Amino acid sequence: MKMLSYLLRESWVNMWTNRMTTVVAILTTAFTLACVGIFLLLYVNLRVAAGWLQDDIKIMVYLDDRLAADSIATVEQQLRSDHAVASLVFISKEQALGEFKAQFPSESHLLEGLGQNPLPASFVVVLSPSFRSSNLVKRWAERVSRITGVSKVDYNQDWIDALATVIRSIELVAAGIGVILSAAAVTIIANTIRLTLFARRDEIAILRLIGATTSFIRIPYLVEGAVLGALGSALSLAMLKLMYELFRQEMRTTGRFAGLENLIAFFPPSGCLALIAVGMGLGVAGSFVSIRRFGEART
Amino acid sequence: MIQLIHVSKRYDQRLALFDVTLEIGKGGFVLLMGPSGAGKSTLLRLLIGAERPDEGQVFVHEKNVTTLKQSDIPYLRRKVGMVFQDFRLLPKKSVFDNVALPLLVQGVSAHDIGRKVTESLRAVGIEHQRDQLPAGLSTGEQQRVCIARAIVNSPVLLLADEPTGNLDPALTVEIIELFKTINARGTTVVVATHDPLVMAQANQRVLTLSQGRLLPEQGVSA
Repeated sequence: MKMLSYLLRESWVNMWTNRMTTVVAILTTAFTLACVGIFLLLYVNLRVAAGWLQDDIKIMVYLDDRLAADSIATVEQQLRSDHAVASLVFISKEQALGEFKAQFPSESHLLEGLGQNPLPASFVVVLSPSFRSSNLVKRWAERVSRITGVSKVDYNQDWIDALATVIRSIELVAAGIGVILSAAAVTIIANTIRLTLFARRDEIAILRLIGATTSFIRIPYLVEGAVLGALGSALSLAMLKLMYELFRQEMRTTGRFAGLENLIAFFPPSGCLALIAVGMGLGVAGSFVSIRRFGEART
Repeated sequence: MIQLIHVSKRYDQRLALFDVTLEIGKGGFVLLMGPSGAGKSTLLRLLIGAERPDEGQVFVHEKNVTTLKQSDIPYLRRKVGMVFQDFRLLPKKSVFDNVALPLLVQGVSAHDIGRKVTESLRAVGIEHQRDQLPAGLSTGEQQRVCIARAIVNSPVLLLADEPTGNLDPALTVEIIELFKTINARGTTVVVATHDPLVMAQANQRVLTLSQGRLLPEQGVSA
């Protein structure tokens, strides 16, 4: 207990003695991690949006115009027995025309000129969640399009694929930037700890001579690194939260992207804690790098 | 307690110790004499595992320091007290905290630390200065704090490197008497010095180093 309080006190003394360096290290770490955080936040929100879109995929299964009622029932039976299908709604030719007229009242005269209803009957299919990935949807659509009586299977996959590509790109950029900036954070903390180690080199030498183990000597510096990393990370989250709120406020006041301000989300509390833990880990890593370079275990 | 067998140590091309063989028994008091650069400090550093010999074997308290793992060195040092010419006290810690340090690194309880530090400070006669910072003490008092720190652990061996180098003759006599008292309690004492006053005052076995070589012994035995 006495030893623990000594080690924690030493960490505090280290930070207090070099308080300017400590503050600068926390601020630079915070800015560095905030840059990573922006990408992470963008990534998280796009993932959520992609999830909504995937949930919203409605597949239109258009039927041949000449198809008799009993054949329609056969197709429906086939679709209902398909374990990939979660729900199914039949839209007759008349319903399709009615919907078209309701949605595009100014263009409805175009269809009236044709004399007969050109819109096909269709089934609106929603797939089970486990079948909503891009590849599975594509394979399902190909299979269903071969059913007798089905003329075409249509779905809005193209732009969902495009969104998936964007998300993958952001994922890569975020990972790349994350690695580079995390390395920067480790370096910043490592340099701060190195200053402390240099300032206390005589004390470290004395501790070695009186029988302190390597761990005993290292712990205050590792704690210092962990505190710098955690505080830097917490500050970066505070900065991100501020930016996030300002962004939402801006959207509300300008009226642009109305409604979107309620859809974008910040990291959940568990995510914030995880990010603080990551910051702490980076701090410990930085501290470890310095301790190793300083070679406190030599004699 | 200490055995060196054909020990040699070089720093780059400079020979610090050459073919040194010696033995110091448990409870002995030995003066390691010789001018600066004779190899006295190197020999002490070999005894605490701060250096490894290029040749030969070093045994301390039945442990072969030459082959001791780096991670075991701290445990050897906990049995050895060290006294330095420049005292090596932590300037921002009180006398009490400085002396408590060797106990703290071993995880000794707060109660035992209080008791042992008080005993140690009493043994060197500076109990009344326990709350002072080292800068507020005279050089003689600082050396006493250094000795208190070295003996607080009840070490089996006390090594002193030029302990009177910064002290006047009167304080030198006091410090040597203190070492004699510590030795009388059963601790083996090795004092490296080039001060003839220490030799005269201690009147103990003398090992003389000259240019890294151990000269034949004369006179008193330990």
